[in-house]
Amino acid sequence: MTSEIPEMKMGHVAKCIRCDRVIYKNSWCNPAGLFALCLTALMMTIPAFNLPLFSIHLLGITEETNLLQGAMMMIDSAPLVSFVVILCAAIAPTLLILSIAISSGYLAINYKSTYLPKLFKITRLLIHWSMLEVYMVSLMVAIFKLMNYADLYLGLGFYFFVGLLLLNMTIISNYSNHKYWEKYQSL
Amino acid sequence: MKKVAIAGKTGKEQALQVCSVCGNYSEHNMDTTQCPVCHQKISLRKKDSLQKTWALLITALIFIIPANIYPITYLLKNNTLYPDTIFSGIISLLESDMFGIALIVFVASIVVPVLKLVALIFIALSVQLHWKFSAKKQLLIFTFVDWVGRWSILDLFIISIMVSVFDKGHLLSVYPGVAASSFTIVVISTLFAANSFDTRLIWDSQENQNNKLQDNEYND
Repeated sequence: MTSEIPEMKMGHVAKCIRCDRVIYKNSWCNPAGLFALCLTALMMTIPAFNLPLFSIHLLGITEETNLLQGAMMMIDSAPLVSFVVILCAAIAPTLLILSIAISSGYLAINYKSTYLPKLFKITRLLIHWSMLEVYMVSLMVAIFKLMNYADLYLGLGFYFFVGLLLLNMTIISNYSNHKYWEKYQSL
Repeated sequence: MKKVAIAGKTGKEQALQVCSVCGNYSEHNMDTTQCPVCHQKISLRKKDSLQKTWALLITALIFIIPANIYPITYLLKNNTLYPDTIFSGIISLLESDMFGIALIVFVASIVVPVLKLVALIFIALSVQLHWKFSAKKQLLIFTFVDWVGRWSILDLFIISIMVSVFDKGHLLSVYPGVAASSFTIVVISTLFAANSFDTRLIWDSQENQNNKLQDNEYND
């Protein structure tokens, strides 16, 4: 159904007249600000994925675990599971932040690149597959489960991961595909 | 000159199509396959939407059976292998008095996939057979299912964490089972099914039905 989008104040949304779904969001969307957030997030991904999320004291040995290691260990026994875990918890979020970073960077310096439409399209696709918040909840479930069996200590990676999650959520809630298209077309 | 869209009428009625990538609309002709603004592929409705959705739903329906019957993880403890299915995992959580976690796992690994399948099949059937069920309610169900669907990945993440923690060879290890791969297929195919479904079809099917009814009245 065709709906007309009226002039709106910042923070207001336009909804479809037929199904009440939000079709346009007049959000704060500043490419330079988002670019800075994305760069911070990109730097956080390295420690968040590689440093131990927690360590556990079991059978007299202290075992550490991080996000990538867990997925890599299943690559022989269940390659599909391993692939999906790496995709949703590491590759998709990183690529998503990277693509938003590149497009924001271009828009911030008012450079009209022919790659931008492709990037916007990729960004839209990746938003579905970035599941950091789901990983966070699984991590909490796993930690509560394990606390009953052994001593458990949170590692540095955990704090980086929480930081990355918060940054990621801020970026996604402020990013607007519509706004970026408008900016791109007005260049 | 660009045709101006009239609000309150569907794009289909006005022979206009909206680009899913850039959000601009353009005239719908048989020979236009590219959006004039961003040069991405464009079509009036998602291509073969219902067919793709059905194919993926049937895949999920098949794989949900092994996902629940076969063991999702194996626990190797002192050289003895203890298989664990999704259901027995939840029971053992309940037995060790972890009700909150048992509930999260139960919702994420049993309720969500089943609910999602049932809801999507219902909506697809209702579009296919032109049922007269409130379109807004169908969309509400679809939006909910679409949002909640990603949470069934939770189970896979937990498996990956457990596998990396319990890695002491024959003393104490956890391995993923056949059901883990089947469960992954269920989750992924329902995610794609929801993705390939074009929600505008819900309204299209009901409009078709109304038109048909009117035609019948004229004929009578």
